[in-house]
Amino acid sequence: MFAQFFGGYLLNKKLVTSDDLTQAFEDKKHTRMRLGVLAINAGLMTADQVEHVNITQQSVDKRFGDLAVELGYVTDDQVEKLLSQQPTEYLLLGQTLVNNGVLTNAQFEQAIKDYKTDNELTDSDLEGSKNESLSKLVTEFYHLEEAVNARMLTDYVTMMFKNIIRFIDGDFTPLEAMVIREFDAENLIEQRITGTYDAVTCITADKDVYFEFAKRFAGETFGDITGFENETVGEFLNVVNGLFAVNQSNEGGAELTMTPQKAITGSKITFEKPAYCIPVVFSFGEVDFIVSAE
Amino acid sequence: MVIQDLKVLICDDSMFARKKMSMTISALGISAVYEAADGEEAVAKYKENKPDVVFMDIIMPRITGIEALKQIIEFDPDAKVVMASSVGTQGHLKEALRAGAADFLQKPISDEDTKAILENAAKGVL
Repeated sequence: MFAQFFGGYLLNKKLVTSDDLTQAFEDKKHTRMRLGVLAINAGLMTADQVEHVNITQQSVDKRFGDLAVELGYVTDDQVEKLLSQQPTEYLLLGQTLVNNGVLTNAQFEQAIKDYKTDNELTDSDLEGSKNESLSKLVTEFYHLEEAVNARMLTDYVTMMFKNIIRFIDGDFTPLEAMVIREFDAENLIEQRITGTYDAVTCITADKDVYFEFAKRFAGETFGDITGFENETVGEFLNVVNGLFAVNQSNEGGAELTMTPQKAITGSKITFEKPAYCIPVVFSFGEVDFIVSAE
Repeated sequence: MVIQDLKVLICDDSMFARKKMSMTISALGISAVYEAADGEEAVAKYKENKPDVVFMDIIMPRITGIEALKQIIEFDPDAKVVMASSVGTQGHLKEALRAGAADFLQKPISDEDTKAILENAAKGVL
């Protein structure tokens, strides 16, 4: 999930465009991690030093690691350690953006430094998927600390993203949330969560994107079901909300249930309390996830 | 009983969920698969077909899966009803087990989970 939010961060900082990210997510599948980016991320080398090694490599037939050691930037042990690391998704994304010429090594170095500082993330946070670190990231990205029911919203949004990655696709960019009181929906599925606290949750998108989202969840096999899109997007929302309810029940003792999902087409939906509309850009288009805690 | 001879009722208001599970069950060679889209229909279909296993969602329009479970158990105390729901909260679990559910599966349900339930049902140990 850090890769997607790192992408969102770069977008917000206007260092990349949405198209750059879509392309990078596609290319990332074939990206091989370079030692230079790993060394920058680990704070062992600066972007200038990496550039120096890269330039030297053009006239000397030596591997990056060997040259970096010879030039005194890193030790053999450090190179060994870097090479043994599994590349994390956000680093692969960064490497791809550098490969594609979207970011320079220096911009990447600064961006990664700022991203960690702004979100109070450590390297070990970014290597794992600790719930606490993910929650911190979500709270920070969406400024949820200011919201009423901040904890519930953070838990919900974190759970939602985990399940988007699990069931739909990991290649997306989250955009900044909007606080809304109404929404003009072309296609929307709504489900209420009730119990210890109440919430309204929705998923909405333009027709073609909505259909593609449904197809990602269901697979091609079920495309001929009548009302396929609403059936499928509704079931996805139901699964996310159910897992959220179970999680809240197990961890916080909250007892929650849900209402049957409701499909709304071509009309306006209003919310009693301010709702967070969270746009997420996939390779096939933008899907909005709405949650309003009542 | 061999697994292929089982009669199975799937009750879920999501047509997608029904079709997906029905496909998994059919792939095991089971031909007697019935479907219901809400609790009321589930009770009627149970009485009509006397299935060996029922997969029952909880959140449904008209009457909920828990209410349908109670009505089925009242009609047939030996009914094997497996709750197959997205809301496996402590409260729902307790309520379902108290009402006589044979087991509880949390959505999304894997093909392996469905198969394990049916194998147990065929062996008479559900």
